[in-house]
Amino acid sequence: MQKSKRAYILLTIPAIVMVVAFIAFPLVNGILTSFYKWNGYSQTRRFIGLSNYLSAFQDTYFWRSLINTLIYGFGSTLLQNVFGLLIALLVNQKFRGRNAVRTIVYMPIMISGFIMGLILYYCVQLDGGVWNDLLALIGAGPIYWMKTGARATAIITLVNSWQYLGLCMIIYLAGLQNIPKMYLEAAQIDGVGKLGEFFHITLPLLMPSVTTAVITNLIGGFKLYDVIVSLSGGGPNRKSLSLSYYIQLLYFNDEKAGYAAAIGVLLFFIIFIISWPINQFLKKKEVEY
Amino acid sequence: MSVALSMKKKKTHHWWKYLVSVVILVIYLLPIYVLLNMSLRDVTDIGSRLYLPEHFNFTNYPNVLDSQFFNAIKNSLILMAGTVIFQLGFGSMAAYGLTRSHNRLSKKISSLNMGIMMIPGLALLVGTYSLMVKIHAVNSLWGLILLSAAGGIPGTVFMYMNFIVSIPTALDDAASIDGANVFRTYFSIIMPQLKAITITQIIMTAVGSWNNYLMPVFLLQKKSKFTIILMIKSAFDSKGGLGNLPEAAAMCVLGMLPIIILYLAMQKYIIEGQIDSSVK
Repeated sequence: MQKSKRAYILLTIPAIVMVVAFIAFPLVNGILTSFYKWNGYSQTRRFIGLSNYLSAFQDTYFWRSLINTLIYGFGSTLLQNVFGLLIALLVNQKFRGRNAVRTIVYMPIMISGFIMGLILYYCVQLDGGVWNDLLALIGAGPIYWMKTGARATAIITLVNSWQYLGLCMIIYLAGLQNIPKMYLEAAQIDGVGKLGEFFHITLPLLMPSVTTAVITNLIGGFKLYDVIVSLSGGGPNRKSLSLSYYIQLLYFNDEKAGYAAAIGVLLFFIIFIISWPINQFLKKKEVEY
Repeated sequence: MSVALSMKKKKTHHWWKYLVSVVILVIYLLPIYVLLNMSLRDVTDIGSRLYLPEHFNFTNYPNVLDSQFFNAIKNSLILMAGTVIFQLGFGSMAAYGLTRSHNRLSKKISSLNMGIMMIPGLALLVGTYSLMVKIHAVNSLWGLILLSAAGGIPGTVFMYMNFIVSIPTALDDAASIDGANVFRTYFSIIMPQLKAITITQIIMTAVGSWNNYLMPVFLLQKKSKFTIILMIKSAFDSKGGLGNLPEAAAMCVLGMLPIIILYLAMQKYIIEGQIDSSVK
């Protein structure tokens, strides 16, 4: 038996080697780099201790990107969960065409975020963008959609939520179909009405789905990168950057590799600090049935 | 009378579902319509993209089918196949080993896995990129395959562990009495049990690889190594004067078409896979 135990461990070795080489090593390498002033390609680098971390706190772009990252994370999560649940409730009803709705709403998830941002870029353009053409139909506009950082951030949040809404829909649909019919029937006999049924029965029993949907969306939103690249390019004036995008610009455009690494470490901690307690909190709210 | 009444009631109950459905479909199909519309125009046609082109120009499609395009498709397919093989091969093996070795270490590794899955790729950018430079993996499809597979392994291990737990160990025991070693048992007894999850994992990994933007854009700088996404990017990048926007849009449609067809054909597996990966 001891021999087969060793064989089981042997099976895990290729995966462990890959993870150590391409995740653990870069992580450690990144943490070490964050203590240096380095342009990213020269042979020499200078140890500067915690200076990179300290300068992050005085960097307005860092704060702006951090706030944007939180907006992308929490904003998308809110929108996707509310509308995802509503659409799931819709396609959980029996009517012709519900499969078409499900198919189409999930479809954008299959398409690269970069490409989606590119297509949407041609929708929000000031001149010849489809959104403004639609406004013109009712005699309004045109609106300079991406004029300010706040607007660009809001539109990116909207586009991201729109693209990945299907994920929530599918998670909630699965949750809805797992609710035993007898609970809903019992509620109808008690005469609680549709709204009462939703808030007292459906929603509490959906809590496991809420947990997965919220955590998945938060992590996805905090990672947001490629939609921003093609939709706003981080602009205007680097005001719609996420932390991920800021790291990339610092490294490849500004040649501040040490500083970029420090922000990478901060991003890692921020995501951990936010996601962990939310996960614990939502796990407690789940109802056993 | 009462039948007519109840039928009427049923109808009035349904109309809003259709109305809401139509609104949803319009919101979701509008960008796709815009892209198709752009791809069928003359370069000189600057009319509103809300309306059909003045003249349908289908030649944009054959025009983009040059050797560079097919080379990019080839690169994307190589990356896709390589990533799927390494990620799923190593990932499922590790998942089997971890679930069956029953020690505390395997529990620790699986919770560590969860943590790794939360790390955004860009948080590691500096460490990853300088590693790739050091091992001369810039402009190498192999380097990118290993990097992508490694990034996907934690998620794959997590998924497979959930499934392997539910395979009775009696199967393993029977195989070992028959004289099969762990590797044999894994390949001939366990693997066939994992067909459904393997299909969904293949699809998800393949689609993710096809769509990957982040690492290819920094690692594959030579045009001969471009993936289809990078080809589309460079077609749109040259839109300022030099480029041809309708042709870029046509290339975008062609590049996304395989994924859309795959999705429509394998929808059942994709959505089931999504449910499995989120519910478990």
